[in-house]
Amino acid sequence: MGLVSLKKHPPGQWPILVLTDAQNPSMTLYLPIAEMSVSVLVYLALGAAIGFLSGLFGVGGGFLLTPLLTFLGVPTAVAVATGTAHVVASSVSGAVTQYRRNNVDAKMGSVMLAGGIIGTVIGVEAVRSLRRAGLFDVTVSLSYVTFLGVVGTLMMIEGINAWRYLHTTGAPHGLRKSGQHSWIDRLPLKMRFQRSKLYISAVPPFVIGMFVGFMSALMGVGGGFVVIPAMIYLLRMPTGVVVGTSLFQIVFVAAFATVLHAVQNKTVDIVLAALLISGGVIGAQFGTAAGDRLRSEQMRVLLAALVLLVAARMAYDLVVTPSDLYSLGSLTGGW
Amino acid sequence: MRLRLSALAISLLGLGSVALAAPPKESVEADASTRQVAITSSFTGTEILVFGTVENSVQPSAESGTYDVVVVVEGTPAPVFVRKKARIGGLWINAKSMRFAALPSYYAIASTRPIDEIAERSVLDANEIGFDHVRMVPAGTGRNEPTDPAEVAEFREALIRLKQNERLYVQSNFGVTFIGRSLFRATIQLPPNVPVGPLVARVYLFREGQLLSQYKSKVMLEREGIERYIHDSAISRPLLYGITTVLMAAVAGLAASFAFRTST
Repeated sequence: MGLVSLKKHPPGQWPILVLTDAQNPSMTLYLPIAEMSVSVLVYLALGAAIGFLSGLFGVGGGFLLTPLLTFLGVPTAVAVATGTAHVVASSVSGAVTQYRRNNVDAKMGSVMLAGGIIGTVIGVEAVRSLRRAGLFDVTVSLSYVTFLGVVGTLMMIEGINAWRYLHTTGAPHGLRKSGQHSWIDRLPLKMRFQRSKLYISAVPPFVIGMFVGFMSALMGVGGGFVVIPAMIYLLRMPTGVVVGTSLFQIVFVAAFATVLHAVQNKTVDIVLAALLISGGVIGAQFGTAAGDRLRSEQMRVLLAALVLLVAARMAYDLVVTPSDLYSLGSLTGGW
Repeated sequence: MRLRLSALAISLLGLGSVALAAPPKESVEADASTRQVAITSSFTGTEILVFGTVENSVQPSAESGTYDVVVVVEGTPAPVFVRKKARIGGLWINAKSMRFAALPSYYAIASTRPIDEIAERSVLDANEIGFDHVRMVPAGTGRNEPTDPAEVAEFREALIRLKQNERLYVQSNFGVTFIGRSLFRATIQLPPNVPVGPLVARVYLFREGQLLSQYKSKVMLEREGIERYIHDSAISRPLLYGITTVLMAAVAGLAASFAFRTST
């Protein structure tokens, strides 16, 4: 077909996809905010792949989408802002599916959301000052490597242990051990979360939500890869409601972040969002269906592997001598 | 006395011959094939033709090479950061940066032959002809901004190289061709990522290193149709635009969810 060809690129750098539009001009679209012409099929496929993963694991998929979009040549600021819109779409369909299955603890989600909104506002402010100091890209790369690395490693260890336990005893490993909250039990403002069968302080979920909102603004992610482990290991929520509740909270935080990006940075590309979303919502449905056939232990190992892969890729970029020491930045792009 | 008269006669004769033989001064006139480039949803880059004519050309034929023509097409000047990475604690981090105040966002140059053969450095510098002759004024607001001239030069070279990689700085050494004694033409490629804004086309006429004449023309590069509407909304009604994007995302997500529910 010759739809996509690889532009000549220096070794060690990601290839830029360019379109041989002569054969198929109807398959390209000009993005009004990113100011570039892109292949419709490539971005639909990218959206579908990310949507599939978000349906499968209950994560927004932003941690994959943002780096991939920049590798494709989309300005990073646009990739971050538009990525949040994609997270809304892929999470909302997943969240609704989970909600219908009564897998959402709305009360827990709301407490986290309240924290998330505050965290997002702080995060956007932090982004501004970091940009001014010219330290934004390093901060983002290091945050990605640190968070993804730590979370991925922990999930991998836990997942493998649970998997092993399952194989030796034939029964799923009980994650929630009652009376193991220790310091969390001593915090004030206790609330009863019926769906999660928990009676704990509202402070930890609020702080977790706030932290995730902050990260979401800084890294252009939904934050599922932090929310899910936090819910499992810190709040000791039952695994059954973890995915649904994190999706519920992610939808609203991502929606808020999208509007904030549109107002403050004017970097949301609605055409790019529409492309990614069209692929994404369909992918998410298949992902949710595929997730039903996977055990949660297997899912955790797979998600951990994926998270570690992205972390490794970003760490590689930080450590290996770049092919070009120089880079360009404009005032609007910031990165 | 006789000597003086003859000297006068010679000088008169000389004057007369100069006045008779001197052809009218050459000048250049030019225009672009398109004054208005529309950026629509199907925009994948385009090319514009810059053509012009040498008034009072004394060139015997198109091939004789009496004149040199340089065509420069420039985008709106914008500030640019050039960053340089350095290894700090094992990590490659942007350690130094230079900010250049106003640099053409796009710069295409076409000429009848390599520009360093056409004119002296000082002439090229004065008219900002060629990448190396574009005025790059450091704004002095970068981080650890280099002061060593050699290092500053390195930053400039990097800037030009990166812009060329993005196909935003384009050079065509033999891109201007004469058709006949006075008519010339050059095609200029506008890549899909060309920054939106007015372009300025400058045309220079040289003869034996002397700048004889120059001409300026404008090409509008504007968003049109739905592209324009979307961009304007994003800039002037950002809250509405943001909410619309979120609603679109939510509705698409929900629609897919319900569609799949009923079908399965």
